[in-house]
Amino acid sequence: MSVNPSWFLILSALLFSIGAFGLLIRRNVLVMFMCVELMLNAANLSFVTFSRMLGDIGGQATVFFVLVVAAAEVVVGLGLVVAIFRRRHHAVVDDLSSMKG
Amino acid sequence: MVEQKAVDTYLPVLLLLIVGILFASLSFVASGLLAPRKKPTAAKLAPYECGIVPDREPPTRFPVRFYLVAMIFIIFDIEIVFMYPFAVVFRQLHTFGLVEVLTFSVTIFVALLFLVSNGALSWGPAKILTKGMPSRTSDSTIVRISAATSTEQAA
Amino acid sequence: MNPITVPSISYFTMAPMLVLFVGSVLLMAAASLLRHRLPEVVSTATSVLLGLGALVVSILQWDHLIRHGSSSTVAGALVLDGFSVFVNITVSCAVILTALVAHDYLARLKFDSAEFHILALLSASGALIMGAANDLVVVFLGLEILSIALYVLVALNRKNEKSAEGALKYFVLGGFSSAVFVYGIALTYGATGSTNLAKMGTYLSANVVHRPGLLLAGIGLLAVGFCFKIAAVPFHMWTPDVYEGAPTPVTGFMAAVAKVGGFVAFLRVFETAFSTQQSTWAPLLYTVALLTTFIGATSAIAQHNVKRMLAYSSINHAGFILLGVVVLTKAGFAGSLYYLFTYSVMAIGTFALLGVLGGARDEDHDLTSYRGLAKRRPGVALSLALLLLAQAGMPFTTGFLAKFGVIEATVAHGEIPLALLAMVSATISAVAYLRVGIVMYATHDVPTPVSDGSSFKDRAEGSLLLEVEPVATTHEVPVAPTTGLAIGICLAVTFYFGIAPGALLDFARQAAQLLR
Repeated sequence: MSVNPSWFLILSALLFSIGAFGLLIRRNVLVMFMCVELMLNAANLSFVTFSRMLGDIGGQATVFFVLVVAAAEVVVGLGLVVAIFRRRHHAVVDDLSSMKG
Repeated sequence: MVEQKAVDTYLPVLLLLIVGILFASLSFVASGLLAPRKKPTAAKLAPYECGIVPDREPPTRFPVRFYLVAMIFIIFDIEIVFMYPFAVVFRQLHTFGLVEVLTFSVTIFVALLFLVSNGALSWGPAKILTKGMPSRTSDSTIVRISAATSTEQAA
Repeated sequence: MNPITVPSISYFTMAPMLVLFVGSVLLMAAASLLRHRLPEVVSTATSVLLGLGALVVSILQWDHLIRHGSSSTVAGALVLDGFSVFVNITVSCAVILTALVAHDYLARLKFDSAEFHILALLSASGALIMGAANDLVVVFLGLEILSIALYVLVALNRKNEKSAEGALKYFVLGGFSSAVFVYGIALTYGATGSTNLAKMGTYLSANVVHRPGLLLAGIGLLAVGFCFKIAAVPFHMWTPDVYEGAPTPVTGFMAAVAKVGGFVAFLRVFETAFSTQQSTWAPLLYTVALLTTFIGATSAIAQHNVKRMLAYSSINHAGFILLGVVVLTKAGFAGSLYYLFTYSVMAIGTFALLGVLGGARDEDHDLTSYRGLAKRRPGVALSLALLLLAQAGMPFTTGFLAKFGVIEATVAHGEIPLALLAMVSATISAVAYLRVGIVMYATHDVPTPVSDGSSFKDRAEGSLLLEVEPVATTHEVPVAPTTGLAIGICLAVTFYFGIAPGALLDFARQAAQLLR
């Protein structure tokens, strides 16, 4: 028995829109990073699904690259957050709220 | 004919968009409905029931070092994604694959070198970072790298 | 198990990117193994030499291209054609100029110069990958190599709050746009069965897509991703903040390299893969181009900070370059390519001057601090005025020919209203440039408070200081020889090719013809 592949596509579209809306609505930088990850992984899910549907290995290979790029991106992003926190080390909570603004 | 087709072709996109918006907004509405009604008041959130209300939060210790190491770990961890498929087919790839992977590894190793020489991986009081670079020598960097790799293997 | 056939690899095609990439890795190794911090001279010289090396290789590639025509390599993932060589040459020039500009700046603000050059070289190699990529996945990788290095470069000024804030904004929106881009790749892959641009193009021209929803959504998402990178309206919101926050040489580098990489990939993807679908996406891009030119121009007028003004003007320029994508003709490509090259040179020169005028800490970019500049520093004021006029499209400069080229192509394609509106926006944006010129030349030495008082809060500390001591000799930064050389080159290129345009115009035309 097999699941109709369009369900995976719908799931990935939903995950992608949740990520996109979360990114636009949430004000916390870390949550925004998570939303970007969610969007990238939604794209990965569609890649794998299409790869299966088309019988082409290329889509699965692409997922590797996307994974690595996502990791590199998030590391740079966290680095930036740490750099911002470091400079205002005297008042951490105030900083958190100023990030929300 | 073209005009009619244009409307037709954009319809699925529009539908996808609408479904996406609906789902996202519905989940926010649902979380609003299902979440606990009472929002915690300021008094409830205060750490102590009585006493002097703290003017501002005490400075929290924020060990940046952990974050740095964790972040660097993510990068070196994800590299294995490329090594694994290579390991599966490396006999078929012969020297070409070997050369490619060696080039890749050397590049990654240079990045590690840079991190170590900048003191990003050294624990303890951050002397190197605060004092600048002068105490660094090529010998000391190599020693530190070998120490770092040997602890990695031990772990 | 099937034996794996290793695709043939032409290292000649990849040579410019390999030069920059290997060079930056070696520079990184040297910086980490040497006893002391790498001297600024060494890293600048390495960067300039690598840029020159890449430039020489690119010229050899051009020669090869003229003789043997375009070719593709690594199983069709990379190509050597007019576009790729054009990007190679433009980016190599940008790397050399930026290294020269940054030399004095990095020493003055006590940045780690090796770090800057490593990141700039990596970022440039990303742009080269984008220029040569013939596969959406490779475009994505190039885009990310370009952007991730740029995020760090923007945050390089650790002492400045705006730098980190700008970097974070750039990062969050950049991450968003790359995620959108990847999803676009996934959908177009699903619709056409390949990520290779040439294969997608042949598939789409040979087959009628019965359920075009996937394909259209994919094309739309790809366009959104590109529009973010090239800062087209409505995806331009990050530009002013990032341009203002970034260290000034980085701003010039971004304006040049990121735009070149983004636009050439944009052109290639839409020409090679989606030219058959032009009737569906052209109206959208038409609107985007129109909005971009107008919002860029009108917002530029309202700015008090010169760096922000130039950020909006860069949006206006992006709108002009976008006209070449909208018309999708050879003349349009030639116009866009020519515009990209000349704009890169002008932008690096202008931001180099701004880096000098920004004072010791690179913070005085308020228009009020430019008052009476012509009397205080005639040379700097003249150079800045000339470069700004060139950006406005003054005749006898490359800026005029660039605008003329894209508008001519747009008219030739029959989009006369679009061309007319774009020219109107050029006139509007000229006001913003002229305003800077007027402030420099027609006002007194002593800055007086602005009468409306609206910009009081916006002004930096520096300009407040200026009011106390009338002549700002204290933090006037002299033009270092390297910076002067870079500015001289930019001015020379802008005016030489403005008066004798033949060679550069032919180069852009041939590059557009030799698209694979």
